[in-house]
Order: sequence, then C-alpha cells, then structure tokens
Amino acid sequence: MTTLKHIFVAFFIIIFSVLTTYYLKPSNPIRLTILFLMLGFFIFNLIIRKHLLYKNYFTSTYNILTAKVHYEVTYDISIDLMFEKVIEVINNSNFKLVESSKSTYEILAITPISLKSWGENLYIDFNVKDEKTIIKFCSATLFQMYSWEKNKENYDELLNNIEKSLVI
Amino acid sequence: MAIIVNLDLVLVKRKMKLKELSEKVGVSTVNLSILKQGKVKAIRFSTLNSICLALNCQPGDILEYVE
Repeated sequence: MTTLKHIFVAFFIIIFSVLTTYYLKPSNPIRLTILFLMLGFFIFNLIIRKHLLYKNYFTSTYNILTAKVHYEVTYDISIDLMFEKVIEVINNSNFKLVESSKSTYEILAITPISLKSWGENLYIDFNVKDEKTIIKFCSATLFQMYSWEKNKENYDELLNNIEKSLVI
Repeated sequence: MAIIVNLDLVLVKRKMKLKELSEKVGVSTVNLSILKQGKVKAIRFSTLNSICLALNCQPGDILEYVE
C-alpha cells in the first residue's frame, strides 16, 4: 500500500512537472509560485525538524512527502538506564542528539545530509511493559518520499551500536 | 542466567561510589549500573581486570554462579 502511494505521488509529480514545463513559460507566475511554495515547504521542514513538538507532523501517515519506518525492540533493562544508554550511544555515533525529554522518555536525533537524502529525523520513544523496556524507533526523511533504505540503515546502525555498547 | 553480579556488595565493602569506580575504570556509570543489574551482554577481560584492580578484589568476588 505504501509503495502504491509512493508510485502514485511520484507519477503525479512527474506528470505535473512535464505539463507545467510544456505549457507554462519559465517566468509564468503560476510556475514561480509553485517553485517558491516547494522551496518554502523545504525550508519550513528544515526549521521545524529540530523540535520534538513536531514529531507527529513528520511521522504522520498523512504526510506523503516524507518516508518513514517504525521499528520496535525490547530490552530487559530498566527504562531510566535504557534512556541514558541510548543517549550515550547516540553521542558516540554519527547521529546528532537534538532534543531529549526525560519526563516523556522521548529522544530526537538527526542524521547529516548525504548523497542519498536530505537527512532523517530519528524519533525514539520508551515504554515499560512487564518490567521490560520497549523502545520504539521511527526514522523519517526530511523532504523526500523514498528513503533509499536510509531509514532502515539508521535503525540497523543504532541497534547495532546499542548491542555493541552492552559489551563492556 | 545463573551468573549473579555482586558488584554492589563489593562497592559497599570498599565504601566506594559507582561514580568513583567509573572514573577509575573508565567505564560509564550507565554501563556499570547495567553490569550491576547483570544485564550486560558480555564483559571484557580488560574491564574485569580494571574493576578488580580498582576494587582490590578477585573476579569471583564480583561474579558468582548459582544453581
């Protein structure tokens, strides 16, 4: 279903681009408006990405311009220790810790811009169930519909780093 | 797991805080806390060596096998 959505949106953008290029001159106000809207939208995303407050905006299924993946992992370690551990792991990795909230057990980390993407937001939530800590990861792209497996790579890298750090 | 970590007992006997041990051994307090709970995946010989050196004890004082 997600792939179908991506194909549909990509198809729409291609058709739209072709039609506007064909029918509208480069100086046409409609074309310029669309260009500025897209640029504005990108800058808007760039500004708000560093706040946990806008987590739902990036991770929402209705936001079709960002690709996101959700993963879950359980550890038999207390939530407080696990929270500290994940922060420690992020600080010792390629991810950049942006915001963390001990009261809600939420972490936001970002990845730098690469050839594959404009960077991703990594949202990490902690919950307790049966005295075990459930860590929920959500990696969302900043402004692209297809992540080129970067979201999955982020999850694998973080999980790998956590596992490695549990060997002391 | 039947291996019990008695690090907290040894720390009490030596009257040493976890933070102090962390500074001496060069392992973060988070990692030592996880070790204390017996939840680490593995412990390196070098780390065990440093802990024994800092606490002036034997590996058997820290790790215990129970049936």
